[in-house]
Amino acid sequence: MLFLQQLRGELRKLFARPRTWMGYGAFFLMEALILFVYKREGSQRHMRGLMERNGLEFGTYYSSLTITFTIMLVSMFLLGSIYFALVAGDIVAKENEDGNLRMVFARPVSRLRLLLVKYAAVALYTFSFVIFVGISGYLMAVLAVGREGGLFVLEPRMKVFAAYPDWWEGAWRLALSAVGIGVSMITLSSLAFMFSCFRIKPAAATIITLTILFVDMILQGFPFFKPYESCFITWRMSAWVFFMETHLSWPKLVESYAFLIGLDVSLFTLGWAVFQTRDFKT
Amino acid sequence: MLEASGLTKSFGAKPALDHFSFKVERGEIYGLLGHNGAGKSTTLGIILGMVMPDGGDVTIGGVSVLKDRSQALCKVGAIFEAPAFYDYLSGWENLRILMGYSGGFDPSAARETVERVGLTKRIQSKVRTYSHGMRQRLALAQSLLPEPEVLLLDEPTDGLDPEGIKWFRDFILQLRRERGMTVLFNSHLLGEVELMCDRVAILRDGKRVFEGAIGGLHDDAPLFDVEFDPWDGALALVHAAGGELITPGRIRLPEGADPAVLVESLVRSGIRVRALAPVRRSLEDLYMEIHHGATPSD
Repeated sequence: MLFLQQLRGELRKLFARPRTWMGYGAFFLMEALILFVYKREGSQRHMRGLMERNGLEFGTYYSSLTITFTIMLVSMFLLGSIYFALVAGDIVAKENEDGNLRMVFARPVSRLRLLLVKYAAVALYTFSFVIFVGISGYLMAVLAVGREGGLFVLEPRMKVFAAYPDWWEGAWRLALSAVGIGVSMITLSSLAFMFSCFRIKPAAATIITLTILFVDMILQGFPFFKPYESCFITWRMSAWVFFMETHLSWPKLVESYAFLIGLDVSLFTLGWAVFQTRDFKT
Repeated sequence: MLEASGLTKSFGAKPALDHFSFKVERGEIYGLLGHNGAGKSTTLGIILGMVMPDGGDVTIGGVSVLKDRSQALCKVGAIFEAPAFYDYLSGWENLRILMGYSGGFDPSAARETVERVGLTKRIQSKVRTYSHGMRQRLALAQSLLPEPEVLLLDEPTDGLDPEGIKWFRDFILQLRRERGMTVLFNSHLLGEVELMCDRVAILRDGKRVFEGAIGGLHDDAPLFDVEFDPWDGALALVHAAGGELITPGRIRLPEGADPAVLVESLVRSGIRVRALAPVRRSLEDLYMEIHHGATPSD
């Protein structure tokens, strides 16, 4: 009960800062732009070609579900990661920099408890942000192209191709994958959170996290790293696409999410270990 | 109530505290003095568990901070110089969040405390709109909400105007009268420490160089500000009377010595006594003597 009260306080702080809302605004604008372009003749021609080459009828799959999938596939890593790294990189380091931590440390709360509360707040923010992008993207797509239609999935990098003509089946898969992305992105937040526990500036925690993420993505793209692609964090984080496969491969999914959750726990533990040994002078 | 024993801490090669011990009895106000970097804030940091000592321990109400920080701090309130609140939230929300880490928020107790520190009208305003004095009042409110038995004050009156300083001092003294609160007061304002504290410790380079009761400052041998002409001859007579020159223009006579006897012998020797005024030895005098071996007039 007390944990929930503390978590509520952390979330109140998190959502009281304009910086936290920047991501929501940016995604909202980007979704609007994607929809605008999606409705253009040229874009439709490209999508039509893509679907028809795969033996699918354009009218069935040119839908709000397909648009939502595309938005989440393209934007989450490139844009979402910035906001997750920013918020998680700030959560401890910024409070230390501003001196707020001193006020909290005068309270009978352990450092582990404090970090657990902050980590839970960051994880909730990350997850809810992904769900927000999914829901807002879908609602905007419905306004643009209507509710009807199936789901067309093409992700060459992860070798996933699927088509769901039935709306319910497509919506269910999309919802499942949104949960998958939410859990995946918590790993990125965990990385930034760990650096935030170190004796560094909040901006440094954000930049180091994004550097690691982008280096991981770049290296993964090199052809000679192909045999080792499953060792990359971003490859594992992309495992949510497997929720879209026609036949769900649970072992593959469990392996990737076990990897990510194990990494989350390790990053938190490392951050806590460093935080525990730090001196916070008044 | 609060006891530190053998506190030792170094930051890298720089020693910050060197086997510092002190004990504050229940209901006592204990002052901690020292130059910047003397180890005052490190001591406070160790008491609050923010700084890990290399050696020694602190107990609050018999509970070790190092062994059971949460239990030890459950009846402790603290105020820092320039308290850093969440500026983008209201004072009320700040109290709610901070009390979440002190066993829970009780709105009626919070209202009562806010009223007591005189912040009721502005408690719903964002902290960024507060003056320094209002922030200190909010700091006081947050420190009192857990109903502490021990209050740790780290330069709490720095930056306050004279009215604010007096209000703060009266408030703390009233708390001690009403609740028998134990207070550790860390300040550069020697006058404030003298007015508030029962006992003080003076730190220099992490070592305790003095500890004593404020009342005891005035029990020492009497001091006098003097002006004699000529000086050389007068000095010999001062020494003959058992006195000593503390600084130019200030002498100390042996306890119980009558200054009139000295004046008489000076006049008889043809020395003009232009002034001889008793001086009440202040904490500042003591502090300067310890740190510089001289008074500020030096």
